[in-house]
Amino acid sequence: MSTDGDLRRYRLLLRLFPAEFRERHGSEMEALFREMSAQRVEEYGRLGLRFWMSLLWDVGSEALRERWSSTTHTKEDLLSTFLSDVRYAFRQFARQPAYAATIVLLMTLGIAGNAAMFRVYNGLFLKPLPFDEPEQLVDLDETAPAWDLEFLSIAYRDFDTWRSENTTFEAMAVFDRGGGTILIDGEPQRVDYLATTHDIDDVLRIEPLLGRFYRPEEDHPDGPRGALLSEAFWDQSFGSDPDVVGRTVSLNGFVIEVLGILPPEARFYGDADLWFPLRQTRDQFNGWGLNGIGRLRPGVTIEQARADLMSVHKGMIDEFEVNEISSPVVYSLHERYLGDYRLGAVFTFAAVLSVLIIACANIAGLTLVRSLGRGQEVAVRRALGAPRGRIVRQLLTESAVLASLGAALGSVLGVWGSNALVAPLEGQFPSWVVFDLDARFTVFVVLVTVASASLFGLLPALRASRASATRSGGRVAGSISRRRSTGALVAGEVALALSLLVVGSLVMLDVRDLGRADPGFDAEGVSAFSLFLPGNEYEDRAALATFTAAYLPQIQSIPGVTGAAIASMMPVSGNHQGNFFIAEGAPERDEDAAQPVVLTRTVSPEYFEVMSTDLVAGRVFDGFDGREEGTQAIIVNQRFVDTHLTHLPNPVGARVTFGTSLGDAPTWLTVVGVAEDVKHYGVDEDVRPGVYLPLVQNPLRAFAVAFRTTGDPGPILSQARAITREVDAGLPLYNVTLMSEQLDESLFTRRATSWIIGVFSAIALVLSIAGIYGVISYSVRQRTREISLRMAMGARQEDVMRGILAHGMLVVAAGVGVGLLLSMTGANLVSGILVDTRAINPTVYVGVTVLLFAVAGLANYVPARRAALLSPSEALRSE
Amino acid sequence: MLPRPLKPQYFQILLALKGGELHGYAIQRAVLKQTDDQVRLWPAMLYRSLGKLEEAGLIAESTPPADEPDDERRVYYAITTEGLERLREEAEMLARWVSAAQDAEA
Repeated sequence: MSTDGDLRRYRLLLRLFPAEFRERHGSEMEALFREMSAQRVEEYGRLGLRFWMSLLWDVGSEALRERWSSTTHTKEDLLSTFLSDVRYAFRQFARQPAYAATIVLLMTLGIAGNAAMFRVYNGLFLKPLPFDEPEQLVDLDETAPAWDLEFLSIAYRDFDTWRSENTTFEAMAVFDRGGGTILIDGEPQRVDYLATTHDIDDVLRIEPLLGRFYRPEEDHPDGPRGALLSEAFWDQSFGSDPDVVGRTVSLNGFVIEVLGILPPEARFYGDADLWFPLRQTRDQFNGWGLNGIGRLRPGVTIEQARADLMSVHKGMIDEFEVNEISSPVVYSLHERYLGDYRLGAVFTFAAVLSVLIIACANIAGLTLVRSLGRGQEVAVRRALGAPRGRIVRQLLTESAVLASLGAALGSVLGVWGSNALVAPLEGQFPSWVVFDLDARFTVFVVLVTVASASLFGLLPALRASRASATRSGGRVAGSISRRRSTGALVAGEVALALSLLVVGSLVMLDVRDLGRADPGFDAEGVSAFSLFLPGNEYEDRAALATFTAAYLPQIQSIPGVTGAAIASMMPVSGNHQGNFFIAEGAPERDEDAAQPVVLTRTVSPEYFEVMSTDLVAGRVFDGFDGREEGTQAIIVNQRFVDTHLTHLPNPVGARVTFGTSLGDAPTWLTVVGVAEDVKHYGVDEDVRPGVYLPLVQNPLRAFAVAFRTTGDPGPILSQARAITREVDAGLPLYNVTLMSEQLDESLFTRRATSWIIGVFSAIALVLSIAGIYGVISYSVRQRTREISLRMAMGARQEDVMRGILAHGMLVVAAGVGVGLLLSMTGANLVSGILVDTRAINPTVYVGVTVLLFAVAGLANYVPARRAALLSPSEALRSE
Repeated sequence: MLPRPLKPQYFQILLALKGGELHGYAIQRAVLKQTDDQVRLWPAMLYRSLGKLEEAGLIAESTPPADEPDDERRVYYAITTEGLERLREEAEMLARWVSAAQDAEA
């Protein structure tokens, strides 16, 4: 008996029919289904896949007919033709399952890569941001090339003037990111916040879920303190209790009223737990450090906005001379946050696309070969009166069916494969970057499938349909033109594979070198966490210094810790603090000369040992540096020596001071040591001139504690937590990181890009070799008669082999030639994402060319040898 | 008016009904039998064909035999006079074609 589930499934299937039809025949069809399945079960024990496939075809095709026939008759005819073509196609595949399976497999491979990459590309660059009219939103910043800062960030006074005097923006806002300790029911918790000007809701066009946004009068140093909670934080810390609005919380010792709850899309910059007013004024200059976002007026371009801000900004030069150096910059949000990834994404995409094209070329080759065998069938059908168009359509339908099967499998494989890629990527980008599947994805897959099917189906179809009854003798196939088209296909494959291999090798080499490069510290075994000492408890420098002086030794004495240090920031953490320095006796600086900003870190003496950052000259800090007037010390990096101390024979002992020009009585800092350069901004980024100040000289309110362990840092961290709680129960540990993990993460996108390009260039190589092998074997098989005749007339085996090899290698050589030209262009383009590797790397070009010739030669040699070993009689018999 | 020649499934259904009123499953079995198991009319095709034939007036729904229990009452179809006439014409046409082909063979 069939089960209820079967019937339910069938009923679901019947929904393909229009309601009217179901009303008329539905119950009868179900009855018939029950009777048929009962009989089927009686005969076979179960329904089985074949039964369901037949039912599916029956209902599917008839429902299509039923729906279409209600419109016009021509349409139904077209549909009938198509459906019968599809049936015919399936019958063909059943006859040659290996051929069909190969094509489906090739398509699956080709589509899977494209589906996966499109998902990533779509998420990064095509999906609109989750805001109202997102195309109007732009990123605002300042740039200062003279200080070697592409992005200086914004000074509040500049923003304030831009905001009041611009004519191109509907609204603009600036914000600062930060973190602090919030007390909820006496329990300290580390939170991330966003301090924004009051216009942020107008810029993003968002409304609070509950309560209200802050008002202009609250965005002032003397205004009342209030904040909005993010939806996630509200849920996690207050169980989404609506009564929290109006309550107060304590943040860094300040009492703050909860004004409202942010909407879910307000997770724009990272995932801040609270938003509150920035509370800055124009008169008080705090340096730069703010990020900006603006909403353009409708119809205003980014260039117009930039020109507008530029004239406002430069209009302030009289008041603020420094605005001569800084300039406002306006970017689209995508460009600013994701622009760096575009080139890599485009290249990865190009790699998977090339593999698809190679797969299509292979399929076209296979189909061409097979069309030889079908010459007779086609000729018969034409003789029976089938018009040429009908035959082309039949052959195209076969391609389309195979392509669709491959595409369906490929999409599944691609989505599955891209999950592995997307999961770690999501953490790397602003939280509005999401990689879920959408209509765009579906449209892309369908378009690519249609394009591939026509790519590999059209040429063979046109060719096959030309076979006429008069030439149906069967020996027409070896025609020169067909050999020429297969030759062109193979050459094309070789060219694409070669350029992909070159570009892939360059990128892989580059990433390998980056991974091996010395970042200037040893991340292995180093962990770090951060602490923040709130101002209400630790009021002055002395309090801060007392805390660290007592705290650090406790961490150092945890068993298993081989060293611990305090630093204002860790390498590769994404943090930066810049200052200007001037050296004693330095030659007068040219007014217009660039003055690079100097990375400034504050560290405790143990820092260099803990991080394994070597000193090139001099010594590390000792306990006395900076303790008293006149002992102020500084350690500089090698780059600083090269930029600031070139006028001195020995950097150690030199004196430097803060600022760009010498004041009345500068505070001199003595250089006690020179440290090796540390890749602070990431191993793929440039090094800046940098300095280290001793901790006692510059006590820190927020700092990282770095410690080196020989074993698992986990238990040590819990001990550190316990120690910290004992010292001050209100201090949470945050930013807990393993340095080696952080270093790996900073290279993740590069590694992923290079792996994808590498894997797909390997696939491209294999596919093109398979293509060469297939085509040469085929042409040999075709020429068997000719070869055996020649051998019967006395040609030697070597001559035969040489002839075949020469033909094959000529094709390969043509492909390599084109491929080399293509690689140069590709390598030139890819040099934008290379750090250390040069685009013109002879080893790579020669290596790849030799590799291709070698494997192509083998792919040629095997069939050629087979031909040469044929005995003439055997060969003649094969015809 | 359904175009000539009739689609094979229409022809087979008319032929099956020539022997008497039948319901869906019975038609399916009859067609299988008269075509030596070559033509199986799957439900969707069968009922769409029955609909078309009915619209063309070649068959009609009929009352089920009295011995059928009420709860298993099925829709029975019977061939109309028009249907019988059309079946005869089609069969004659096919016969002419076949004999022409046989003449050509010989």
